Amino acid sequence: MLARVANNLFWMGRYIERSEHIARYLNVNYFSSLDAPNAKSQDRQFVLRSMLFLVGEPDVDENVILKEQEVLFKIGLDTESPFSIINNVKYARENANSARDLISTELYESINKFYHFVLNYPSDIFLKNGLHDFTSNVAEMTAILRGKIRGTLLHDSVYAIIMMGVNIERANQIIRIINTKYNDALKAQGSYGDKFGNSFEWTTLLKCAESYDMMRRFYKKTPTSISTLEFLILNPNCPRSIMNSLNQVYKNIKILDPSMAYNKKSTAFLIGKVRAEYQYKYIEEIEENIQIFIEDILNSLNEISLKMEKEFFNY
Amino acid sequence: MDNIENQIFSSYERNPILYDEIYKKKGQIKKVYKKLFELYGKHSIQDYVNLNAKAKSSFFNQGITFQVYNDKDTQEKIFPFDLFPRIIAPDEWEIIEKGAIQRSKALNLFLWDIYHDKNIIREGIVPMELISTSENYLDQMVGIDPPGGIYNHISGTDIIKHNDGKYYVLEDNIRCPSGVSYVICNRTALKRALFGVFNHYKTYSVTNYAENLLDLLETTKPKGVDVPVSVVITPGMFNSAFYEHSYLAKTMGVELVEGRDLFVENDFVYMKTIKGPIKVDIIYRRIDDQFIDPLEFKPDSTLGVPGLFAAYKKGNVTLANAPGTGVADDKAVYTYMPQIIKYYLNEEPILNNVHTYHCSRPDELKYVLEHIHELVIKPVDEAGGYGISIGNRLTKAEIETVKKQITESPRKYVAQPIMSLSVHPTYIDESESFEQRHVDLRTFTILGKDKEFVLKGGLTRVALQKGNLIVNSSQGGGSKDTWVLKG
Amino acid sequence: MSLEYSIVYKAENNYQNWVEQAHWQFLIIPEVNNNQEFVNIDFSNSVGATNQFSINGYGFKTIRVHPKQKFKNISFEATFRLIKKEVNPFDFNPSADIEQSYQKLNELNFKVDFEAFLKTTHFTRIPQAQKSMFDFEKDISIFENLQNLNHFVFNYLRFKTNVTDVKTTLDEIIVERQGVCQDFTHLFCAVARKNDIPARYVSGYLHQGNGYFGDSQMHAWAEAYIPKIGWVGFDPTNNLLANTNHIKVAHGKDYTDCSPLKGVVYTTGTNETSHTVQVLSQQQQ
Repeated sequence: MLARVANNLFWMGRYIERSEHIARYLNVNYFSSLDAPNAKSQDRQFVLRSMLFLVGEPDVDENVILKEQEVLFKIGLDTESPFSIINNVKYARENANSARDLISTELYESINKFYHFVLNYPSDIFLKNGLHDFTSNVAEMTAILRGKIRGTLLHDSVYAIIMMGVNIERANQIIRIINTKYNDALKAQGSYGDKFGNSFEWTTLLKCAESYDMMRRFYKKTPTSISTLEFLILNPNCPRSIMNSLNQVYKNIKILDPSMAYNKKSTAFLIGKVRAEYQYKYIEEIEENIQIFIEDILNSLNEISLKMEKEFFNY
Repeated sequence: MDNIENQIFSSYERNPILYDEIYKKKGQIKKVYKKLFELYGKHSIQDYVNLNAKAKSSFFNQGITFQVYNDKDTQEKIFPFDLFPRIIAPDEWEIIEKGAIQRSKALNLFLWDIYHDKNIIREGIVPMELISTSENYLDQMVGIDPPGGIYNHISGTDIIKHNDGKYYVLEDNIRCPSGVSYVICNRTALKRALFGVFNHYKTYSVTNYAENLLDLLETTKPKGVDVPVSVVITPGMFNSAFYEHSYLAKTMGVELVEGRDLFVENDFVYMKTIKGPIKVDIIYRRIDDQFIDPLEFKPDSTLGVPGLFAAYKKGNVTLANAPGTGVADDKAVYTYMPQIIKYYLNEEPILNNVHTYHCSRPDELKYVLEHIHELVIKPVDEAGGYGISIGNRLTKAEIETVKKQITESPRKYVAQPIMSLSVHPTYIDESESFEQRHVDLRTFTILGKDKEFVLKGGLTRVALQKGNLIVNSSQGGGSKDTWVLKG
Repeated sequence: MSLEYSIVYKAENNYQNWVEQAHWQFLIIPEVNNNQEFVNIDFSNSVGATNQFSINGYGFKTIRVHPKQKFKNISFEATFRLIKKEVNPFDFNPSADIEQSYQKLNELNFKVDFEAFLKTTHFTRIPQAQKSMFDFEKDISIFENLQNLNHFVFNYLRFKTNVTDVKTTLDEIIVERQGVCQDFTHLFCAVARKNDIPARYVSGYLHQGNGYFGDSQMHAWAEAYIPKIGWVGFDPTNNLLANTNHIKVAHGKDYTDCSPLKGVVYTTGTNETSHTVQVLSQQQQ
């Protein structure tokens, strides 16, 4: 496989995954804030700031009054803003385009449909009453794409590279969502006991990661900071957890680099090392300093990405 | 019984001056179309409206599109597809196929000659100006023996049927002829929409193009290569024919590369893969000559591969088509095709050539200037239907402009009588009915070492605007599935 | 008697910003022919990139360089040592039958053989108005006519650097009447071809010892084909026939085919380039 095309496939996976997380974040935060239990969580400005924080464009000036429609448009359909959903889908399709000869017709057709759906979504409707429709469709379509990736591609290096993109991005997005919600929880603390630990934002966080129901099943309790973070970071059976993403990344790098020989310079070695580190972590360690933990994991993921680029995509 | 009540054709208007592909002169349906006519008659026009809409969205969703460039922006468009197929009877196809092979072979020999001894010029059969004033003649190619002796591996021959019922070749495309992917997509789309009709006809499949292409390209592998590695090189995803490039790579099972994926080391070509460099032996290039190597040709080209031409010159890589083939699809060369065929093959041309007036010859220039209203004026080196003027469609002022252009640079223009392209029933969106539209046919011929292949089918292009004679997709043309019947 | 030459070619490129990708092709290696015997090449670049020896589209030897790392400054240095045999430019018998040699020029086979060097190119197109700026006299030999042309070009243009560049065409040169060796050579070739004489552009080195024009860069002159004699070198910049001081690298239809350095460089901002050539000779017994 061409190095450039491998890079395109990797980023196709990442952009597909990214658009889903942004869409779900918009959806969940917006709608759960409408009837949130405390004033802060209900506050429009609070929610909008949280959304901008997630896409990496926090508005630093706390005194500025954000306009809801502007923020939603900027994150959803604004072709001028690089992080918008529409641009993510566009990039996903562009990357798919240049690797079109390697992916299945079915997968390409679905990406193409997805692109046309987003491209043709009327912005006035999106802003008026289409937020739910739009974002849930985006989430739905990315689920279809994941199905097509799994179901119509040969599980060889093409598949492995896409899945690495998907999983590295997923780990990235989950950690970013955790980071955002952690910040939110600091601001919107619960009303009893450990106010931070019982913030409503932990429920929102789980919903953003489509993990709320499973978490309730697993712990059978109202989510707290510690149980939520444990579930989303360390539980290897939670499909959205960091641990699971790292396991997937590891599984797929072994398809690309099946060598068993010890090579400390290889991407596979680095992934294995990062994975082992989190495999044997416990949540209390993490809770001691969440901020540092978040920075560490973002750095590790970035390092993996760079190493991959150097080893496989260098063209 | 020929003119059974046929609801969908009830409003079909036949212009008696034009040659209609499905009707005989006296108004009966031709034998090969009878069954189809009958079957289509069973549908209501509303069925077609629906099917047509479905076919459209299917093309769009599959991303079978091309980009149209104009002054302002680029647009992604689907190549309009018509649901009523064109049928070519076995005896007619035999002529087309033999004629296409004959032309491709003659052009290949012509190219060999003009890049080696130039005997055809020395013997005065064609004038030296064909090469000395052609922008597409590459001096760098002189003396190079292309691997397998093949220059024009792939030729696209544009053929029309005139109102005398005979086939004429309008032009030979031997640079990077495109359109073959649409042949296959059209078949797929028609099968999906109206699968029932196929049961009644024995039609040749068109899906074997890519495997034949790869097979025949491999017969022209460089010397000393055992199992060649082939690639398709594209200018990139913003090229209007990118869909086709990716389609061909995919169906041939080879990598689709861009210039930046390749590099040359010690005069061998390599591609950059995730497992390191892999040597490349055969390049099916969809990049024009001037862009293939910035160190040899256009220096500002970022599409090509620095050093590629040196690798080619040393015989280490096959380029298909070979550089410099463009000189032979120059419209001025076209006019000598009967002589060229005769000279190299000692055969009479199987397919007719349209008579051509060379504006470079004073007496013919005079005729052209006096008869512009009954001629088509074509620039000799433009592709895609650009720059063509059709005499009887021009205003007085336009005629004067054209005359001025020709007089200023006569070598740049040729003129031909206005050919009356045959017409074919075509479903028209706006009127929601079938109407007569002009069609042509592009055939695809592949030459290998001692082997050749013609795709049994081809791209029937339709000029969708009423009365329009220019069928190119960039000029608003559509296309039809084309059936070649088994004998 | 022969001369041993030592030629040093240096090029230096400095870029304002990083150069991420670059490809260069040098066409600077002296040709091996019946009066040039090749002795030795030494080529190096300052960034440690590999130097690939290859050929260009016309079969002349080239050196290609493609650095694998980014850089801002790069320099190249080539040293060639070769032996040049004594050249006597008048070492032939001008054709006795003048008429016959002009007839030869009109034969189709002759025109086909020399097609490449008879056709008009971008740099050898004489504007319509000056079509007859120099017509051959049919009663003297082709060689004499070419000598007169050499003289004519030498007088018509004034040698001046920095008034023309590699893009200047004859339209401007003929009006401004000044330029460098490249412009002199283009004019010579254009007029010769206009008179049906095959003419080619030659690039190479000139030994400056005798105070010739050549501005310590690479030099250019012309070769014209005279029936029964062959290719003869004319240096219109110096009003000379090419001789022992002219060390040939390559020939072509015009400058485009012979440009000593071609490059594809991916960077932004400004850049500065400089080239120098030094030719030293030593007599051999």
